[in-house]
Amino acid sequence: MWAFYFNELVRSIPFFLKGLWMTIAVSGLSLIFGTVIGFTWGIIRGARYRVLSPVIGAWVDVIRGTPFLVQIFVVFFILPEAGIELEAFPAAVIALTNLTACFICEIVAGGIQAVPTGQVEAATASGLSQIQQLRYIIMPQAMRTILPPLVGQYVLLIKDSSVVSAIGVVDVTRVGWLTVQRIPEGIMVFGLVGILYFIICYPLINLSNALERRMTVVSTRL
Amino acid sequence: MITFSKVNKWFGELHVLKDVTLEVKSGDVWVVCGPSGSGKSTLIRCINRLEPIQEGEIIVDNLSVHDKKTNMTKIRAEIGFVFQQFNLYPHMTALQNVSLAPMKVRKVKKQEAEKLGKEILARVGLGDRVNSYPAQLSGGQQQRVAIARGLCMRPKIMLFDEPTSALDPEMINEVLDVMRDLAKEGMTMIVVTHEMGFAREVANWVAFMDEGQIIETAPPNEFFSNPKSDRGKLFLSKILTH
Repeated sequence: MWAFYFNELVRSIPFFLKGLWMTIAVSGLSLIFGTVIGFTWGIIRGARYRVLSPVIGAWVDVIRGTPFLVQIFVVFFILPEAGIELEAFPAAVIALTNLTACFICEIVAGGIQAVPTGQVEAATASGLSQIQQLRYIIMPQAMRTILPPLVGQYVLLIKDSSVVSAIGVVDVTRVGWLTVQRIPEGIMVFGLVGILYFIICYPLINLSNALERRMTVVSTRL
Repeated sequence: MITFSKVNKWFGELHVLKDVTLEVKSGDVWVVCGPSGSGKSTLIRCINRLEPIQEGEIIVDNLSVHDKKTNMTKIRAEIGFVFQQFNLYPHMTALQNVSLAPMKVRKVKKQEAEKLGKEILARVGLGDRVNSYPAQLSGGQQQRVAIARGLCMRPKIMLFDEPTSALDPEMINEVLDVMRDLAKEGMTMIVVTHEMGFAREVANWVAFMDEGQIIETAPPNEFFSNPKSDRGKLFLSKILTH
């Protein structure tokens, strides 16, 4: 029986690859948008702009303090009551982008605040504008602090994307759910699902570790 | 060139500058001294608006520094500032440190900025270290790069905030020598320092501060041999008797 199910599973691999592609699409888009929005918010938070900074801070707290499953239900099931109807795919990307942006915002703001004030004072005293300070002095130094946890956040994002299966996006997790109804060997089916996630995440985990090592070496040298 | 009139500044409840009035003429070298916490650093940090003031006016080169309408970039470009902790950019070489502001603020072409940077680094005795990162330089060398960074903007004024206080004793002189040369060339300078030898030799004027006030201003030989104020006498007796 086990051999039969195994053959069935091998024959379903194209279906899994389709699911994997969906996982990559949802996480990839959220990664790009989330990074752009997260850096923007993080820079505003790091610079402590008077009005915007607390507003973003409050939003980040709300998102960090509620389960992602609940957030995605709000976007998919509750927004339509306010007249905003979304397909499952865009709903998933919006919810995941927002989640990622919130976490990246905190990472970026922390990195910026870790740059010594003397650096900003030196740049100010030499007449550099705020934008020039950010570009030439603050961000290059903050990136050392930001990069390792940022890549770590991408790993979390890919794994969190499994939650989008709950609103019917056919990602690799959803493919697992559908397949297990035909092939009732849970360990085998979800083992494959796990392996597929691991294949994408493992290089990123290595990258994050390597960055962490490199940044530590660099910062002690400097 | 720099005029303080009735300047008052508070940090919350703390009154750190009290009715400070001071006039610095072009080519003057002022040394500001006094006990720690007397407001010396705050005084010079107000000149390029690293700190805001609450009352009074500071005029630099006919422009009011704390007027919201004043273009601060223009004023700051004319004022070099040297910090106690150097504050060099750690991710840039010495040459990049000194040529960044000329390129970005003065809009000098990269080639010219680097030529000027090399010239000025050579002038402070670091012609062979242009490609070193700050972490590869000693404290004295870092502080000389910091002075060169200020000079590369071709400023009219140089401000020094305890430039030798973070240095090991054997490195103090290499920094003071650079400052001596600058003074000889006629640079307008305000130096907050505890180096009384330097003050005696190089300054035209000494301003003695205590508790946020300028207690007295005098030429150095007058101040050191015969301070007018009791607080000045007390201060000198403390620092000159070892």
